Amino acid sequence: MVCAPSKTVIRGEPPLPTDSVNAFYKAMPIRRRVFVLGDRETRSAFKSDLRGRDIVSAKDLSRDELELVFEVADDVLANSSAYSAVLRGRRVALLFVEPSTRTFSSFYIAARRLGGDVLPLNEPEMTSLTKGETLYDTLKMLEGYGVDCIVMRHPSRGAARFAADVVSAPVINAGSGSQEHPTQAILDVYTILKKRGEVDGISLGMLGDLRFSRTVPSLAYLVSNFDDVELHFIAPSALQVRQEVELYLNDRNVKYTKVTRQQDIPDAISRLDVLYVTRLQKERFPDPSEYERLKGSYRVDMDMLRYAKTSLGVMHPLPRVDELDAEIDRTPHAWYFDQASYGLPTRMAIFALVVGEAR
Amino acid sequence: MSSEEQLLVRKIDWGTVIDHIPNWRADQVLKLIEVESLIKEPDVSVIVLKSVPSRKYGKKDVIKLYHYFIKEPDAALIKLLFPTVTINFIKDWKVQKYVPNLPEELVGKVRCPEVTCISNARREPVVRRFAVLKEKGYVRCYYCDALLEISSIPDFIAA
Ligand SMILES: [Zn+2]
Repeated sequence: MVCAPSKTVIRGEPPLPTDSVNAFYKAMPIRRRVFVLGDRETRSAFKSDLRGRDIVSAKDLSRDELELVFEVADDVLANSSAYSAVLRGRRVALLFVEPSTRTFSSFYIAARRLGGDVLPLNEPEMTSLTKGETLYDTLKMLEGYGVDCIVMRHPSRGAARFAADVVSAPVINAGSGSQEHPTQAILDVYTILKKRGEVDGISLGMLGDLRFSRTVPSLAYLVSNFDDVELHFIAPSALQVRQEVELYLNDRNVKYTKVTRQQDIPDAISRLDVLYVTRLQKERFPDPSEYERLKGSYRVDMDMLRYAKTSLGVMHPLPRVDELDAEIDRTPHAWYFDQASYGLPTRMAIFALVVGEAR
Repeated sequence: MSSEEQLLVRKIDWGTVIDHIPNWRADQVLKLIEVESLIKEPDVSVIVLKSVPSRKYGKKDVIKLYHYFIKEPDAALIKLLFPTVTINFIKDWKVQKYVPNLPEELVGKVRCPEVTCISNARREPVVRRFAVLKEKGYVRCYYCDALLEISSIPDFIAA
């Protein structure tokens, strides 16, 4: 049996500090595009077929749709005040069945900045609310509340696809086990676009635990939309990229290499425009001594970047532990703080396009 | 001739003959048709012939199901795994060749190899679905994208 939520739908200013968010805007170098809110292009953009769409997998997004998200994100950055009522009267549920602070906050602030009402269901309230009921029942309960969109994080692979089939409101996947995290990948590709100017022709390396990272498949799927992309998967064999990702890349004729030997890492690094770092976790290794032996080779520090192009950008979905040396923070290689700041405009753009009021 | 031998060669009045199964693979076919539940039916008998001479393939297995017509999804699954198999329905002692449609999707029958997949969550009302990527030799979970080799399907028949 479902009991009423202890928190009702929150209206008014979000209880989270927004100063840091404002600081993002001020610090950010914005290359304005010829894209003005309210012109014909924007209006047609807002009537895009992303309206009402589920964002379950990065595979579901075409290049055109992705570029539309980026254009709106640009516009959000340039004219943030114009977006304050885009979600007025819309109710967004944030259903986080797995603890998360950053992604949760990012979606929360994004929905609130657009003037939406947010129903936050985060751990541990989530558990007390649902009292061990099935995901299916929880989703049906939310549908009964009349929510206009469900943002969901869940530890099970495939949970987002299941949810999208269960409810009629659009479902945005905020992480489905080790399967995918499409909105992270959208902000990642947006970062590449902002920092590098284009995504076409990129040589992108992904390093660390590629097997259990939900970000890596989504990023690989998204960049496969672009031309002349080359991917380098740098990881020990046990943590290499999953078979279904390879199959997808082969289907789309995307060039990729798998770098599994430590001695080949420097050469791979030297070829990259962008290095995407994920955490290598001890518990993922079948043999803990293997981890001790390998961890040094997968730690990104200035020593490793000796081999890199001067223009190499280093990205990381954050938070980091010790796989990414703080020394890099002070160099132009460090893209990860800018990357983190793009979470908000891209998620605002996604909300605006999927659930926003057509203008 | 003993009564057992008579049973072996006895013709079927009605039922299914699954012929030209690759040598010693009958057990996999039995898994696919979930024979464990089938044999609970009082009228159903199952005769399995293993490693019998075949003009076409050297050796083959044959399964005869007395008083049971296999269902199309099962037949399709058998054809997917073992394209050489021929399936005959016997009706009133007469043989009728049966060619199932090969599905683009397997529904309900196969379990996802990924333990953390939502389709393996015991209490969720999830209908298991797999896209058939025949050329590539895989099926792919509709929910979690996990790939399962077609040849491994017998080990993942839903319980
Ligand atoms: Zn699955």
